[in-house]
This record gives sequence, C-alpha cells and structure tokens, in this order.
Amino acid sequence: MSETKHKSPYAVEVRGLSRSFGPRKILADVSFQLKHGEILTIMGGSGCGKSTLLRHIIGSLKPDSGEIYIDGTETTKLDDEEFSKVRKRFGMLFQTGALFNSMTVGENVALPILESSDVAPHIADLVVKLKLELVGLTGFENLKPAQISGGMKKRVAMARALALDPDLLFCDEPTSGLDPVMTSVIDTLTVDLTRKLGMSAIVVTHDMTSAFRIATQMVFLFEGRVVATGTPEEIKANPNPILQQFINGYADGPIPLKLSKDDYLKRLLQS
Amino acid sequence: MLLAYAQLSLQAFASIFAPLFGQRGWRLSALFKQMVNIGVASMPTVALANFLLGIVLAMQGAGQFEKLGATDLVAALVTFSILREIGPLITAVIVIGRSGSSITAELGTMKVEEEIEALDVMGIDPVKYLVVPRLLAMLLMMPVLTVLGEGVGLFAGWLISVTSLHLDPIFYIHNATAAVEQKDLWTGLLKALMFGGVVGTVCCFYGMQVEGGAEGVGKATTKAVVTSLTAMLAMDALLTTLIYFI
Repeated sequence: MSETKHKSPYAVEVRGLSRSFGPRKILADVSFQLKHGEILTIMGGSGCGKSTLLRHIIGSLKPDSGEIYIDGTETTKLDDEEFSKVRKRFGMLFQTGALFNSMTVGENVALPILESSDVAPHIADLVVKLKLELVGLTGFENLKPAQISGGMKKRVAMARALALDPDLLFCDEPTSGLDPVMTSVIDTLTVDLTRKLGMSAIVVTHDMTSAFRIATQMVFLFEGRVVATGTPEEIKANPNPILQQFINGYADGPIPLKLSKDDYLKRLLQS
Repeated sequence: MLLAYAQLSLQAFASIFAPLFGQRGWRLSALFKQMVNIGVASMPTVALANFLLGIVLAMQGAGQFEKLGATDLVAALVTFSILREIGPLITAVIVIGRSGSSITAELGTMKVEEEIEALDVMGIDPVKYLVVPRLLAMLLMMPVLTVLGEGVGLFAGWLISVTSLHLDPIFYIHNATAAVEQKDLWTGLLKALMFGGVVGTVCCFYGMQVEGGAEGVGKATTKAVVTSLTAMLAMDALLTTLIYFI
C-alpha cells in the first residue's frame, strides 16, 4: 500500500474523546494516533472503557465530546449513510465472533461481499474460498458456526472481517476464551495478515502476552483515562505503578481490585 | 420508547416501499423464508383454533336461539361473527403467540450475540436486512391466514349445525350468505392487514431493543407479546368504531 493513497499520516486519530453514561464517566479525554500499517493494542482491565472506546471508533456509539478521524475524515459528525461508506473500508472482529448462526461459514463470509455490490455469486464463492484459505479453514464453507470450535469461529470472523479487503482491522478481545495455542494462532494471523495485506489494526485486549506479541504501538487505559502510550519497549520500561501491576499481573497494587477490611467497613457504614 | 418505535416503524415501511423508487429490491429468499415461518407453519394452529371456535359459536348460539325458537339464526350468528371479529382476532392471537414471540426472541438473541452490531459495522442496514422481510411477511401472511381461519371456522359452524342441530345444509348456507355483506369480508381482511402491521413492528421493535443477555431476551419477548395483544385489541376497537359507528 503506497503512502500516497492516504489522506492523512494516521489511519486513526482520536482527540480528547469523552463519554459518560449517566453519572459514570467511562472515557475521559482519550487521545492517541495509529499510523498506517501499524498494530495498536488498547489495553486495560475489565470495565476500563476499552471496548466502549472501540465502539466509538467503529461508530456504534457517539461521544459527548472529542473527535475521531479515520484516515483524516472526521467520523463523529457523519450521519449513518455517510458513515456506512467509511465502514466499508474497515473490518471488525467481535469478541464473540458475531457470526450469523442461521448461515453457514461460507454464507457468513460471503455476506459483506454480496451486500456491498452486485457481485455474481460464483465470484463471491471464489473470494470466500480465498479468504477462508487465508485463515487456514479451507473446506469449512458448508458447516454452521455451531459445528466448529471457538477458535475456528474467531478465524471465520476474521475471514469475514477481511472479506472486503479493508484498510483497517478492529479486533475486540480476539483471544479471550481461547487456549494458549489458539491464542498464538490468532496473534500470528493478525500480524501476518496486517503485513501481507498492508492493513492497520487496532486490537483491544487484556491479554498481556498477546498484546506484546502483536503490538507496534500500545495504549493503556485505566478508569477511562490514557495512563500510558508508546511502543511495547517503552510500555515495559514505563515506571507507572498501575501499568506495572497490570503487566505483571500482581494482585496487590494501586489497582483497586479488592477492598481492604477497613475500606469494606467504611463503605458498609456509609451505606 | 414510543418515539423509537415510531422511528423504527417509519424506517421499516419506508424501506418496504423503497424498491418502488428505484432502490435495491426486497430480499426475496429472506421474504419467502419468513412467509413460511410466519404463515405456512402457523396454518395448522390457526385452522384448529378457528375450527374449535366455529363449533363453540354454533353450539352457544343454538342454546340461546333455541329458547326463542329461532335455531336457524345460528347460521347468521356464526358467519357474521367469524367474518367481522372472531376470524381476524383469533388468527392474530395465534400469530402473536407463535410467530411474534419467535421474531422477538430471534432478533433479541442476534442483538445479544452482537450479530446486529456486526451488520451495522459491515455497512448493512439491520432494518432493511432483518426487519423488512419479517414485517412484510407479517403483512402478507396475516390476511392469508385470516382467510384460511375464517373458511375453516365457517365450515365448523356449518358442520355442527347440520350434524348436531339438524339444520338443512343448503338452507344454512342460504341464511349465512343473506346475513352478511361483502363489506364484512373486506373489513375483516383490512383488520388482518392492520394487525399484521402492528404485530410485525411491535415484535421487531422489542427484539431490536434487547439488552442484558438471556434474561433480556425473555423479558423483551414477554413485553412484545403483551404489547402486541393490547395494541391489536385497541386497533380492533378503533377500526370497528371507524368502520361501523362513524
């Protein structure tokens, strides 16, 4: 992919994004950039706002304030019709795979192809075969999602996300619930495909091994705020205690995972 | 809530008529699949329910008319009630219980499993892709099912009158046709069409609104059935008033 094809040096740029649900502030002044051809991982504990952030980028949610640029186009102000044009340029791998259970694997991958243009079904079949081959699932076209394993579902979802040769790939917890081998398979696939197809990718994850394996850039969120950004080496060397506790998986530290006896008593008396 | 319902309904009806204005046509295979799910598969239950109500109407009517010595009025009662009210009403009740609930549960599960969001992200409008075939199938099949139900109900009334009440079969038919006008048939079918629209939009709306996993799907399905029944009865009252009393 040549640089001249792009309108902006950044595939995705988020500026000062904030969002509250009722009194709870989920995202507070989040900013980061993803350069073309890079893989950025958004990390953080459960409930830190990383999936919400991704949903804002893909346009499922609208922010209270802040801007999101996809290859230089500001997407937060676009209406549904205009956004659907931008969406054609990206693929999304959902946490659960989000395959259509009533359709076969082949029909799932063919869906975006057939819906986006008047492609003849036999051409779509050919593209489906190619995409399934990319993810190592040749010959699985006629099986239903219920007949294949969790890891295979994720790979089919990846094939579907790649169906329209997107410039941008978004993955929401692509390795959650998978065994270490399958996690590694999905990671390798993400890295290989982004390199081979010249895509950029944003991967939301709380799996540190996986994040360090694939990322060229990292963003760490804590309670809706960006605590650290940088390359994997910079993140590893960052002395921030919250970040270090998360990377090393310590139970004790500044992240309030468990209330102490005193805090528990205090809260109980307050309520 | 009402606003969101109105928005979805308007969007769905606009999408139904969009092919008339040069936009991409209906997904015929999806439409036929829904017509089979909603319509063809409901036929045995609709027929049975109408058959039983036809029998009940004839027997209850005979009990009352016998006291007046006017048993032959049973034909008028059965035909009149089935065409105007019972046929469309009981058919809609069956369709709500059988197909309406399944629409909400199916769409709700798709919502929970992120399938609807996936459609959105792929640039496919979920209303066009999921709601339109279901709503259109409801609009087309509700009148068809009503005609079937009415036919079976009328036959049941005739059968019980001829066999148990010993009425003359030809005389019964003569009485029945004299008691009703063509308008009664058309108004019954108009009601069926309107019921189809109400049930289709309400059940799709609740399905698309589901949040909170399996529990959410269960709650939405209950709400969809209760709201569809109430809205259908309110629509029935409104149409009866408009057609027969104004």
